[in-house]
Amino acid sequence: MEEAGQARLMDVTALSQLHAALRGAGYQVIGPTVREGAIVLRELHSADELPFGWGVDLAPGGYRIKQRADRAAFGHSAGPQSWKQYLHPSREKVWSVRRTDGGFELEDGHEAASRLAFIGVRPCDLRAIGIQDQVLGRGQHAASRYAARRAGIFVVAVNCTEPGQTCFCASMGTGPRAGQGYDLALTELLGDGTHRFLVEVGSQAGAALLAQLPTTPADEATVTSGRAAVTAAADRMGRTMPADGLRELMADSHSAARWDDVATRCLTCGNCTMACPTCFCTTVEDSTDLAGDHAERWQVWDSCFSLDFSYLPGGPVRASDRSRYRQWLTHKLGTWHDQFGSSGCVGCGRCIVWCPVGIDLTEEVAALREEAAARDNEDRPAGQAQQADGAP
Amino acid sequence: MTGVLPAELGEHAFLRGLPAEYIARLAQVAAAVSVPAGHRFFEEGGRAVQIWLIRTGRVALDLHVRGREPLIVETVGGGQVVGLSWVCPPYEWQYGAQALAPTTAITLDTTAVLSYCDQDPVLGYQLIRRLMTVAADRLHASRIRLLDLYAAPSQQAGAT
Amino acid sequence: MVASRRTETRDTVTLALRPAAQPIGSHRPGQFTMLYAFGVGEVPISISGPPNGSELLQTIRAVGAVTEALCAAEPGRLIGVRGPFGTDWGVGLAASAGRPADGELTTPVMADPAGKDVLVVAGGIGLAPLRSALLTMLAARERYRRITVLVGSRSPQEIAFAGELSSWRALGAEVHVTVDRASAGWRGDVGVVTQLLDRVDIDPAATIALVCGPEVMMRLTARALAGRGIATADIRLSLERNMRCGIAECGHCQLGPLLLCRDGPVLDYERAGPLLAIREL
Repeated sequence: MEEAGQARLMDVTALSQLHAALRGAGYQVIGPTVREGAIVLRELHSADELPFGWGVDLAPGGYRIKQRADRAAFGHSAGPQSWKQYLHPSREKVWSVRRTDGGFELEDGHEAASRLAFIGVRPCDLRAIGIQDQVLGRGQHAASRYAARRAGIFVVAVNCTEPGQTCFCASMGTGPRAGQGYDLALTELLGDGTHRFLVEVGSQAGAALLAQLPTTPADEATVTSGRAAVTAAADRMGRTMPADGLRELMADSHSAARWDDVATRCLTCGNCTMACPTCFCTTVEDSTDLAGDHAERWQVWDSCFSLDFSYLPGGPVRASDRSRYRQWLTHKLGTWHDQFGSSGCVGCGRCIVWCPVGIDLTEEVAALREEAAARDNEDRPAGQAQQADGAP
Repeated sequence: MTGVLPAELGEHAFLRGLPAEYIARLAQVAAAVSVPAGHRFFEEGGRAVQIWLIRTGRVALDLHVRGREPLIVETVGGGQVVGLSWVCPPYEWQYGAQALAPTTAITLDTTAVLSYCDQDPVLGYQLIRRLMTVAADRLHASRIRLLDLYAAPSQQAGAT
Repeated sequence: MVASRRTETRDTVTLALRPAAQPIGSHRPGQFTMLYAFGVGEVPISISGPPNGSELLQTIRAVGAVTEALCAAEPGRLIGVRGPFGTDWGVGLAASAGRPADGELTTPVMADPAGKDVLVVAGGIGLAPLRSALLTMLAARERYRRITVLVGSRSPQEIAFAGELSSWRALGAEVHVTVDRASAGWRGDVGVVTQLLDRVDIDPAATIALVCGPEVMMRLTARALAGRGIATADIRLSLERNMRCGIAECGHCQLGPLLLCRDGPVLDYERAGPLLAIREL
């Protein structure tokens, strides 16, 4: 935790200088911007491209941008994309191979990873990056393409003061304040005619960059009110999803009737997996050119909702819609713990917004809890049952 | 063929747990059998009036499907039984049976056994329970074999 | 590179592979590799030979585009190999190493059944990954008490490694074969492979069972073995799921909390049983 004395204040105009400093340091700057009726992540050519004055209305299966009464740059919550499209691209070449007399040989070709700077990383998304690190960047993957990209990024996180209607980061313990993993963290402060940012440093690289920007020491009152605004946001979440015992709930719910209910609604379209910042599944596509001399393997995003995902000779293991929705949810909230040591959900709410039929996992989980509780009550008799020999 | 002591009869897995008085009664209609490989116990269509409790060796149940040599549908070994068709109509062997290896067994005269069961339903109940278990196991195994689990996808039922 | 090729049955081939450039690491019986056919794709294939440092034996059944391409590979052809991956049968002197904690899962060490009876039960092509364990054990025969192999096949013409069975007997294994359906001239057992259990004298407290075949067959066999008193933790199965990467990052091979390319394919029935009982898991 930063001490009050270490936090700095900067005016909104300094965002341009932040952008310039990042460019000057050789980074490609990525951040939110308004494009075709949504706030999406794109390369920013200047800080002016940030979505000043734009907010969003979020609902299950609904997303609309709207004009805000103020000029907040970060007055919106999770858009359709997450930072995973940069760290874990939807399409990338794994190898290319050339046919030779003896057979074939691997062609060299490692594109140097460009260095990316992310501006506007929400605490939920920051945690999501950390979660993907556990899957794609650890252990045997330490030398992977993901790890190389990941090592080169610069993160400017933005704490939340205004959660969206579908947000529940507080329930998942991932926000509204950014946890570790940022170089700089901003808290946007608007009011009494000023537009400023509280800036906290999270790394040496962050400190070095901040030193190039016009900042003033933050006074205690400002720091306190800034922190309080973020803390208060935790009580204004659009959704809650108590996370206690979720792993056990998922493990105990395989035969729940609720899955049949969801299956009548779920289209298995996989939007949720595309929008989710932690979903990581991929498949590979092998192809050759027409002459058959050159073959390439591409890694592309895949979704457990696809019928093909669990294919074995003889048919897929998860043929029914029910089993595929169950796989996604029980993995995300349950077996992810077993596999990677944490929950897979960060409470960003994207899956709720981008589901075309508006399935809300917080509702599904609540229903599963009720069903589990009812099941437990059935198993336990109302009173102490007497045994035939009179013993309790 | 020689007589059989109740103690020997009682050892066979099929009769395990049967009360001694019933074992003794059945021993009176039992005979020990020892045959070489190739011995044919019975033929399809014959009158079914015996059961064999196999002690050692191997017996094949077969059907003439085409050509000279019959196709084996099931093989049975020590601790198991050969011959169930005496229990219900048409009381005719549904298969042939041949020893694939030198085989020893105890055979019971099932006409006498059925007569005992008519007189004493408890004996009848005990034997039917055991026979039903054998039949259920074989039915279950047959259904598993019909699943054709080892087939390649193109060989499986319903493959185009 | 394909050093030699042997046709096992109508649709199954064993390739003996030698390194064309870098060798892959030495494998443990039960592990698999990802084999690549140029321009067609990659599939996970069990290693069917024991670790011997020179040739890698892989037995492949042609069930799709990639496996057909691999089965058609002639000596001299180059095939891509990644691996070895996965958990092993726990057999042989190079004892299986438990996997260090990753997330919250650890892979328990499977102890070599030295001094015990080993019961190998194979269904169809499931004999291929078991062969690796069997030959490893037969090469150190005195380490183990009784070694019994029960083989279930579709028909007499489709018995995997049919020509080797007598050599296994000569090396000290008791081998029984049964077929689901006989053809003319077959004079051996006919029935499901679990029926062969009646032929074997089992000492349940001192037996480790290694089982591989179609999932239904493994479920029924494991149940039958447990029914004879063998502890579920002593029954080892080799499971199969769709695999794309082999290195626990594509998500395809999940079985509940397990990633089979990393936590499997070999699992004990105590862990695998409850998972296999859930339909469409």
